[in-house]
Amino acid sequence: MSRVIVVTSGKGGVGKTTTSASISAGLALKGFKVAVIDFDVGLRNLDLIMGCERRVVYDFVNVVQGEASLNQALIRDKRIKNLYILAASQTRDKDALTLEGVGKVIDDLKTDGFDFIICDSPAGIEKGAQLALYFADEAIVVTNPEVSSVRDSDRILGILQAKSKRAESGDEGIVEHLVLTRYNPKRVETGEMLSVEDVVDLLNIPLLGVIPESEQVLNASNSGEPVILDSESDAAQAYIDVVDRFLGEEKAHRFLTAEKKGLFKKLFGK
Amino acid sequence: MRNIIDLKGSILSLTVLSLLSDQIEDTKQAIARKIDQAPDFFIGVPVVLDPQVPLMDPTFLALLVEYLRQRKMIPIGIRTEDDVMIEQAEYAGLAIFPLEKVKKHPKKAVEPKTEMAQPGLKTALLVKSSVRSGQQVVAKDRDVIIMGSINPGAEVVADGHVHVFGKVMGKVFAGASGETTAKIFAKQLAPELLCIAGLYQLSEDIDPAYQTGFVEVSLQDNKLVFNTGLLG
Ligand SMILES: Nc1ncnc2c1ncn2[C@@H]1O[C@H](COP(=O)(O)OP(=O)(O)OP(=O)(O)O)[C@@H](O)[C@H]1O
Ligand SMILES: [Mg+2]
Repeated sequence: MSRVIVVTSGKGGVGKTTTSASISAGLALKGFKVAVIDFDVGLRNLDLIMGCERRVVYDFVNVVQGEASLNQALIRDKRIKNLYILAASQTRDKDALTLEGVGKVIDDLKTDGFDFIICDSPAGIEKGAQLALYFADEAIVVTNPEVSSVRDSDRILGILQAKSKRAESGDEGIVEHLVLTRYNPKRVETGEMLSVEDVVDLLNIPLLGVIPESEQVLNASNSGEPVILDSESDAAQAYIDVVDRFLGEEKAHRFLTAEKKGLFKKLFGK
Repeated sequence: MRNIIDLKGSILSLTVLSLLSDQIEDTKQAIARKIDQAPDFFIGVPVVLDPQVPLMDPTFLALLVEYLRQRKMIPIGIRTEDDVMIEQAEYAGLAIFPLEKVKKHPKKAVEPKTEMAQPGLKTALLVKSSVRSGQQVVAKDRDVIIMGSINPGAEVVADGHVHVFGKVMGKVFAGASGETTAKIFAKQLAPELLCIAGLYQLSEDIDPAYQTGFVEVSLQDNKLVFNTGLLG
């Protein structure tokens, strides 16, 4: 059974594409067959972060419009087996995607035996974002620890509950997960940022993980590699935890405090 | 200890917007001109629409409501007895105010324990989750029970009482059609705005002492009264 997952946020620039890339890569590394789709038409980004921008011949819009087959447009990741990318068009406008067209692509991916279909949503709560979430079974809501981001996530959660296919058909609702990114415990302690408790308290959905603010994210995206592959970095570790929890494993949350613990402190600090 | 809080508004401070044209664009422009004169004044102001001409365009109300919200006003109702407009208004999430003059000075609540008189049984509207930012719940002619919280940017409007199991952080209107015995019950209160039968209060005017535990808000002598002693 395929699972369709939308990565969404409302607010822009919070880390949806970073999260989509790392979770897709993480799931594929576990042996699942994964397709990740860039819904951000006009602003393609995912292919850069995945390092396949030079291999885009056909894109998502071409497939939706019937100008290319799905197989022609799916880009196979060079590093990770079973990972495929469907890039967004840079030249088309947003209206090039239609509900029926997107639905057909997702159905075809299901038929092709993909275990996970990850939809990287554009920012906002309008048509583009609604299209990306419409067919989802699950949603990963990406939030930064600041009031405006949390407020927008709250909005998108309302839309998930009202305007998805699952909501319309009266099926069980979309399963919701929270990923809190760019978390900077120091700035939380000084009160500049909301704490993980504040955010979970307001949004009231299960927390999949907290990704610390990390320079490695930028380095990774500049070198066209999902940060999860940079396995030494905090951000990668945090994304690895996210993937494990997503697959049902129980793991304690990490990277919540500012303290840099040495081994000595870890052993005797409590 | 029970405190009584001074109110800024009365039922009359629901701003009434008389609509003299049935042209949406003209109306919007006229509103924009008014707002430009005093931008801050209109933010968060509850507005009752009062059409003086028949509104034939079926999208008029919806467009107007959206526009008022964009301009940060809070359209809460419409004064009309016209069936077509009532239908439009319900669609646009507006409460209906009957045309006869709304009571200027509601009588002191004489029967604090009795239920509101209801023509026929209508059970409360039950919302099993939180009401999220951008969402609006309208309970026409009845109570509403919110099993989660009312998040910032969300709005709950009921003609009857409003019961909230969680925390109120958005806007709440009880007694939206003028029922002065309507109450608001909440596990925790940190609202953007509370309003009972048109009397409203903004968060900054609510004593923080009422923002911690279970609280009952009612209307007495034209004032919102906060009671935190209900659960002992
Ligand atoms: N954990 C992190 N630490 C530091 N920087 C981060 C982190 N996550 C994301 N960023 C940076 O934030 C910026 C936005 O990230 P990203 O493109 O993933 O966001 P987005 O939500 O997809 O944006 P858009 O809404 O434009 O699609 C990028 O520059 C990225 O490098
Ligand atoms: Mg993006």
